Amino acid sequence: MKKILVIDDDQFFCKTLEAALPAGKYAFVSAEDGEVGLEKLRSEKPDLVILDLMLPKLDGTAFLKKLQESTDLPKVPILVSSNLSSVKKISDVMTMGAIGYVIKSDESLESIVQDIERVLGEEGKKV
Amino acid sequence: MNAILPILFVLVFLVLYFYFSLKKREKEIFKEREEATRRLYELAILKELGERVGYSLNVEEILQIITGSLRQFIDYTAVGYIVMAPEKLKVNIYIEKPINHIFLGEMKERMIASLSALTEKSLESVVLDEVVSGAIVVDELKQKIGSIFNIPIVISGMVVGVLSVAHTNVGLYKEEDMTILYKITAQASEAVSRLQEVVKMEKGKLNAMVESMEDGVLMVDTEYRIVVANPAIKKIIKFGGNKEINIFDFVDSLGGKFDIHGRLEESLVNKKSFVSERINIDESFFEIGVYPVLHSQTKGGDQILGAVVVFNDITHDIELEKVREEFTGMIVHELRSPLDNIKKIMELAVSETIDKNSDQFREYLNMVHQSSSSMLELVNDILDLSKLQAGKFEVNKEKANIREIIENRISFYKISANVKKIFLEASLNNNLPELTEFDPQAVKQILNNFLSNALKFTSPKGSILVSAFVYDPKEFFPKDLDRSKVSVFPEVTDINVKTASLCVVVSDTGIGIPRDSLKDLFHTFKQAKLSPVDKESKGTGLGLVIAKGIVEAHDGTIGVASKEGVGTSFYFTIPL
Repeated sequence: MKKILVIDDDQFFCKTLEAALPAGKYAFVSAEDGEVGLEKLRSEKPDLVILDLMLPKLDGTAFLKKLQESTDLPKVPILVSSNLSSVKKISDVMTMGAIGYVIKSDESLESIVQDIERVLGEEGKKV
Repeated sequence: MNAILPILFVLVFLVLYFYFSLKKREKEIFKEREEATRRLYELAILKELGERVGYSLNVEEILQIITGSLRQFIDYTAVGYIVMAPEKLKVNIYIEKPINHIFLGEMKERMIASLSALTEKSLESVVLDEVVSGAIVVDELKQKIGSIFNIPIVISGMVVGVLSVAHTNVGLYKEEDMTILYKITAQASEAVSRLQEVVKMEKGKLNAMVESMEDGVLMVDTEYRIVVANPAIKKIIKFGGNKEINIFDFVDSLGGKFDIHGRLEESLVNKKSFVSERINIDESFFEIGVYPVLHSQTKGGDQILGAVVVFNDITHDIELEKVREEFTGMIVHELRSPLDNIKKIMELAVSETIDKNSDQFREYLNMVHQSSSSMLELVNDILDLSKLQAGKFEVNKEKANIREIIENRISFYKISANVKKIFLEASLNNNLPELTEFDPQAVKQILNNFLSNALKFTSPKGSILVSAFVYDPKEFFPKDLDRSKVSVFPEVTDINVKTASLCVVVSDTGIGIPRDSLKDLFHTFKQAKLSPVDKESKGTGLGLVIAKGIVEAHDGTIGVASKEGVGTSFYFTIPL
């Protein structure tokens, strides 16, 4: 079973996303800030990380930077999901190694789930 | 017959006497008339000079006017002047009647010798810049200088040149002629000196202004020589030391960031202004303007004197812009998130996978409720803020009881305090009046903000205390306040009121606020970067800005006392 780590301080988003994912297909783990996110990335070894940008303690951009600079953190595809919609922010994040960017309020839960399934499917083919 | 002779003699004597007296008188009249004419000339020349010299600062120009007007009252063979210019002497001689080279050479020598004597400088090896005009020089003529006199030209107490008048006739010039010319040159010199004083003073003012300007200012002449470079611009290009600054210091320092030479060239040649985009130099941002410096001439057309470069430091503007952008971004984010949550919850709710009677469905409804409440709260805050910024925030003062309001708020927040295991109570002093004049709704809003902040930043087993008392600066600060449950409480120096005031303090034993964040707390666009103890609490920092607006509308004061890791006290006062 594929494991998804959602790093988002918005508890409602975590809950609705979890509910929208096909039941029993994925293991779902959440973290409420960037620091807990890093810990869970190490301990849970997820197959995909869904990362918010405006986060307490360690924000999404700093999280991506840590991941880029680190040699021992597992290399996991990162899908950024945020309500920040500036073009600059999106391009910054994409150059920092994110595989996709979802503007939360522009997408339905269904399309986010599709994005997740697509990414996990492609990753699966590579292996 | 004998009698006639003496009579005749007397008659002849009388006739002769009258004749000679008349002659003498005639001579005197002639002399007087001559004197009067000379005076008239003198006056006329001075007047003409006054008009023609105008406000010219150019000594040479003035001397040309003087020599040009001279022939009206002095007879001369040649007239000329010599003035000192940087590294050379400028000689200008006008020949009225043909002379030979010996005359001309001697006149020049005498002028230089005179100037040398007056300035006590050796001028033998100095380069001469000569202009000879007027009649021709004929070597066949046999004449020498018969009469010559030199008038020193003094500007601001310094001899700068000599005016010279020469004639082939001997003993021609009298004291009066020299006096008049002396007067004329003295007057002209004085005018120039005065003007130069004014210019010097104005220049001093301008220099002081340019020196003290925060913007970097550089001026170059048409040859790219630096005329002005103020301290600010030297700091920008990191130019130190006492050596002469030159254009290459700028070219080297600015490197590829700004083509200063190219822009100056454009400005000097095409007389066009230019303002750059923002340019980043070290930690700062600049807009660099390059402008031609033109001198409009009376004859029409502009003469280019150089170009000026102004480095306008816009770092502060950019910082402000960034803060504003961050603020707008935060507001948009804070509005979008709850709205998007509602949308997504509804998406799940209508997907029919959920039983409408299940606990999960009830949880969703609860989530929608919370999201819409937090959004409404933010929208209200934004509306209040815009009213404050537009100066349209109104308070409706009425007689109200502060005890009742505080107790009401305590009971409202008691539920969430209990959930979080935080001890919450009020300490209402005996000196509180029954009724006070204020806007009860607005004061409730402040208390809501203070209390929700305190709950956000206080850990379980902590305490929150709401104190209210009257403090009259003419009397002692109340001593019977219960501070046993809180560790940080405003002191007399904090609550600095001028008249008797109602004071309300909300104290907590929370995480405290770092010293450098304290001053920004009540300002828009800034929120202390704190991590609430409880992850669900978030804020925009607008509440405190609005609280400040409300308190100020009551002519009161708002403040905070805090110790990091120990606790915080927010307080406000309303004059009674």
